[in-house]
Amino acid sequence: MRLGLGPISLRGATRESLAGMAAQAVASSFDSMWVAESHEDGAGGGLAAAALLAQAVPIRLGAVVDVGLYHPLFLAEDIAIADLTSEGRIEVILRMATAGQRDLLEEHIEVLALALSGAHIKWTGKHLRVPAGIQANQPAPRRLALNPRPAQPAVPIWIESSETWVEELSRRLGFGVAARWWPGAPAPAATGRWPGMLLCPTEVQPDDLLNAAGEGAGYFVVAARNPQEAALAGRRLAGPLRMPEFPEWINADQPI
Amino acid sequence: MSLRLGLGIFGMQSVPQRPDHHAKLYRDVLEDAEIAEALGFDSIWLSEHHFWFDGYCPADIAVAGAILGRTERLGVGTAVMLLPMHSVQKVAGDAATIGRLGEGRLSLGVALGYRDAEFDGFGVRRKDRGKLMDVALPLLAASCAASNPRVPLYVGVATAVAAQRAARLGLPLFADSTMNPMELGEMLEAYNAAAAAAGVDPPRNHAVQRDVFVTDDRERDWAMLLPELRYMRRQYGGWSFPQQAGESVQAYLGRLEADIEAKLKNLIIGDATVVAARLREFEALGFDLIVCRSQFGNLPRESLHRAFAGLGRVNEELSR
Repeated sequence: MRLGLGPISLRGATRESLAGMAAQAVASSFDSMWVAESHEDGAGGGLAAAALLAQAVPIRLGAVVDVGLYHPLFLAEDIAIADLTSEGRIEVILRMATAGQRDLLEEHIEVLALALSGAHIKWTGKHLRVPAGIQANQPAPRRLALNPRPAQPAVPIWIESSETWVEELSRRLGFGVAARWWPGAPAPAATGRWPGMLLCPTEVQPDDLLNAAGEGAGYFVVAARNPQEAALAGRRLAGPLRMPEFPEWINADQPI
Repeated sequence: MSLRLGLGIFGMQSVPQRPDHHAKLYRDVLEDAEIAEALGFDSIWLSEHHFWFDGYCPADIAVAGAILGRTERLGVGTAVMLLPMHSVQKVAGDAATIGRLGEGRLSLGVALGYRDAEFDGFGVRRKDRGKLMDVALPLLAASCAASNPRVPLYVGVATAVAAQRAARLGLPLFADSTMNPMELGEMLEAYNAAAAAAGVDPPRNHAVQRDVFVTDDRERDWAMLLPELRYMRRQYGGWSFPQQAGESVQAYLGRLEADIEAKLKNLIIGDATVVAARLREFEALGFDLIVCRSQFGNLPRESLHRAFAGLGRVNEELSR
């Protein structure tokens, strides 16, 4: 079981507010701290912000990033560089910004996976051609490769979606699946290396998460509006997620 | 305003003559940023290229984020981001966030880019780069000016035409290292004339990049630097005017060599007094920020840090 804090919106966020939350994430035994970009709201830089926070705390840093809005090779490059500067502590959730255009999203995600694999890429799709092979661009090689590659052999990446085709795509590409929590929601099935992820509200209870994981593992990213909420969530959830039949008296209030 | 010195540009290349792993190269640049801050430099500047075998840094704003997280006072800039390849919405959104988290320490330098293979990777016709820049630059300038805090924007230039584009928008220049003082003077004249013709009051806070190496033992360090400088100049030259179809490697290298020899003459090398005097010439031309490149490939760490310390003495002298 894994426990993340966030995602915290980068819209209007300050260095002080993020550093405060990141420090609390460490103090409260979270495995990771997550920030979220939203280019539609003018707040980008999810991976650069994660790289910034990685200099302040020793835990893993997650970035929720838009996919489908700009060329996936830029996303692959951002992932590689953020991962190298943090010495391999980056995790990613892909959020699909343009609803409905399944074939475009699928291509962007495929090219991202190909680029991160280190392959010498040649992709010819309906929306993307990589390299484009434009006649006027000379000289240009027939294939290209992402260079440098990330520090981790495989950067953990989840796609946020509840659609079946996304789960199939994730399974094929070795990405995880992330979903939003609701009462009684099961964690998405594990795909490849990664457990299913649930994005949870701050008031979520240990039993909710253990029931969601069932017989499997889960990665639970828990929202918090301030360091106090983060501290409470960490204290309530970290023990039970790390040990079966966690002794409740550890967290119980002291008798007077 | 007094003359400011920046360090850069940094590309984090795993060069053939010293091919370190990129995990080490990025650890090194973060350490270099801490040194730059401790020595009192104004800023550190990052370079961008794509899909090159030595892993030349392709994502400046991500590195800028890491450096801003590691430092407290140092400015961090891109020199330069190749804007016509990028989505301007992404660049503007990234800069707005990192400018805010960096508490006003982020600057953007943007330029056209020139290597066909990079344009082709992103599905952009290289020939369209001027038109794309004409559309993207005003959008980015407006977004940078509206950001809180503001993100200073420079236009990277190596020609008078590019300088005239910047002048019409009232944006300061980031001049390439390959122009000599005479060419820089002519370019600034063209810039000022274009600004006047457009009715723009031009800014005077231009930046220029120079290859600078401060040393007390010129002979020893020149021998060490020459292979690094040749590698760097061969690479940029190879990108600017590529080998032609049918041209032999030997013939091509001969053609490159003349260019390399010419560009090597722009290197400023000497002790702190010599270098300070040379840098004053650029201040007299109208530049108030000089970005000094001492890392040409992947120099031995102690040699590089000796040069940074020497440049730190130059910085003290110039800010007096």
